[in-house]
Amino acid sequence: MCVALPGIVESIEGNDAVVNFSGNKVRAALGFVEPKIGERVLVHAGYIMQIISESEADELQGLLSEIEELI
Amino acid sequence: MTIDSVKAFLKEYDGEDMRIMEVCGSHTAAIASCGIRDMLSDRIHLISGPGCPVCVTPSSYIDKLIELSLKPGYCVVTFGDIMRVPGSRESLLDARSRGAEVVMVYSPLDCIDIAEKSPEKIFVFAAVGFETTAPVYAQLIDRVIKAGIENIHILTAIKTMPAVIGRIMENGAPIDGFLAPGHVSVITGYDAFSDIARVYAIPFVVAGFTGERLLVALFDLVKNRGRGLVKNDYPSVVTREGNLKAKELTDKYFKPCGAVWRGLGKIKGSGLILREEYSHLDEGSVFLDEDIKLNKACICDRVLTGSKNPAECPLFGRGCTPSSPQGACMVSREGSCFTHFVNDIRGK
Amino acid sequence: MEEQISMLHGSGGSATSKLIETVFAEAFGDTYVNDMDDAAVLRGNERIAVTTDSFVVTPVFYPGGDIGRLCVCGSVNDLLSRGAVPKYLTVAFVIEEGARISELKKAASSIALTVREAGVKIACGDTKVIEGSGGFMINTTGIGFVEKDTDISARGARPKDHIIVSGSLGDHHACILSQRLEVSNSITSDNAPLTEMAAKLKKLKVHSIRDITRGGLATVLYELAASSGKRFIINEADLPVSEEVRGFCGIMGLDPLYMGNEGKLVCIVDEADSEEALCAIRESKYGEAARDIGVVEEADEGELFVITSIGGRRRLYPLADEGLPRIC
Repeated sequence: MCVALPGIVESIEGNDAVVNFSGNKVRAALGFVEPKIGERVLVHAGYIMQIISESEADELQGLLSEIEELI
Repeated sequence: MTIDSVKAFLKEYDGEDMRIMEVCGSHTAAIASCGIRDMLSDRIHLISGPGCPVCVTPSSYIDKLIELSLKPGYCVVTFGDIMRVPGSRESLLDARSRGAEVVMVYSPLDCIDIAEKSPEKIFVFAAVGFETTAPVYAQLIDRVIKAGIENIHILTAIKTMPAVIGRIMENGAPIDGFLAPGHVSVITGYDAFSDIARVYAIPFVVAGFTGERLLVALFDLVKNRGRGLVKNDYPSVVTREGNLKAKELTDKYFKPCGAVWRGLGKIKGSGLILREEYSHLDEGSVFLDEDIKLNKACICDRVLTGSKNPAECPLFGRGCTPSSPQGACMVSREGSCFTHFVNDIRGK
Repeated sequence: MEEQISMLHGSGGSATSKLIETVFAEAFGDTYVNDMDDAAVLRGNERIAVTTDSFVVTPVFYPGGDIGRLCVCGSVNDLLSRGAVPKYLTVAFVIEEGARISELKKAASSIALTVREAGVKIACGDTKVIEGSGGFMINTTGIGFVEKDTDISARGARPKDHIIVSGSLGDHHACILSQRLEVSNSITSDNAPLTEMAAKLKKLKVHSIRDITRGGLATVLYELAASSGKRFIINEADLPVSEEVRGFCGIMGLDPLYMGNEGKLVCIVDEADSEEALCAIRESKYGEAARDIGVVEEADEGELFVITSIGGRRRLYPLADEGLPRIC
């Protein structure tokens, strides 16, 4: 039960933000992290649980470099 | 290292058998939808553990929700999946069709608007979930108290991960490694699994949810066989300590308690319940220990601990299907039985 | 004229006649071929294709269309799936007390516009009024004719055939759900009559055609595979899905393979004609985003597989449950 999706913060108003998931705009509560407008965040059950610190591609590249050492 | 070499390694692996358990419903679903099992050698076994909080909720919890939904002046507010879980006699959805008051929402915070519009009713939120969802329940309680809202209560069945993994290993399950839950780890931090990894000398790898990330995590697990460590393969969102603010707020309103896991019984310290000073907002979460099967032949309990494969259940596909589920594992879209049924996975 | 429907409109007396005249006859105009007889006598040939459907969608008006357009497309596209040329439609309204006349007029007008686009005529109709809360439902029966040498059916797929889909998946379903769940986006329904597209495919060796409706592409392909007894293999990477629909499915925990359309078809085409079929569809209205997504293989029994974008293999079955949004 951990459906959480990455989206982009579009606007912030008080305790809530509007997060854009490829054109779908959903309200999400703030309170645990302080994202800026335009940042990628992870949203679960209507709240923003984390700011995503690197792009999908960069993270994968990083992981592939790390596991090289295991060969 | 490229993804193709990771794929080749996993497909051609002919070392010792490697039994890997995942304990996150979203991993169960992602592994199935990416077709990962098909890409692994026969020596690598993926087992679904108790990663779906809906599936491990005892029947007495559902029965209590139904009782509340039929009580005059009450309305139950819930996520979608919970509505179809069978209690000892019926599901919330069945009860709704005979007049019970049940509302489905996307976020627990939606409860606040709903409750405002009907101040004469008491709205009880079905607070089910893992550490990922606990913070939003804490936020709900926080907002309810600060705004002086008097008609929102909760009924909790919140579970926490490390204790149940410990119990599975204590019971002697032959697991060689764990895919650590990706989003639970965002909140708890990956350090939450260090102790178990060390004690049992097995690797834990925190994985994301895309096909590539899962393949890399599986590679990492196989390569680290026999080593008691935790590796973070989801660094863009998971840190060592997790989300401190979320943990703090959760801790403010909830305390650890023993919790009943379907198939495993009561596990000490594996649940969360409202602290005494807030217990007036609780609709009786502490008395929900019993678990009665809807169908005696159902073996959800053994499927949930990974000791039986869904296909080994006598009811699987015969009387127990997504449209007529006999147990929780077939209800939730992240349940093992549902996933195995819709993807026709037999015994891998 | 009053603004709302009352039980009087269903009585069969002058109020009923007035309703029919001012709302339906007015909108349908020359698309209506019946002279108010109790039955219509029509011309055609021996091979009659008939289909019927009831439309109970809510909301009744949604981005990209409405129940009027939908009911025409639904029946017309069903007829096309048997290689029939759609010719006539019957239209029956069941109207709840309290329904707004202005909304009925809008729906009737949509019906008229869409039947003109689809090249069909309305043969007869009916109205009933029941107690309720202001909604309305429509039943349509579509009638078409199949030429002598046409043989398109669910059993037709042969090994080496190509599987071609006419455009993006899940648009209609995602649009309706977005409206019901109040998710803000710009997804519009794709409800459209595919007569032109089907006509272009007529000259080619097409073995099966189906419109992709409730249950989505996976459900339709499963049925075609089961009927023909062949293995269908499709490639996830080739499936056309719009970014917005993908995002919506992500939020709701839904799979675009199981989301319905109302203006897309999938066809199983002989290898020799597959490129031409793809071009023909892309040149038709509503077919710009068509893709060749897979192949048919010999098998002992019908099977459907998808090769996932990372190269895994997943077997697909018909939709297992209601497609309600998952939260957890």
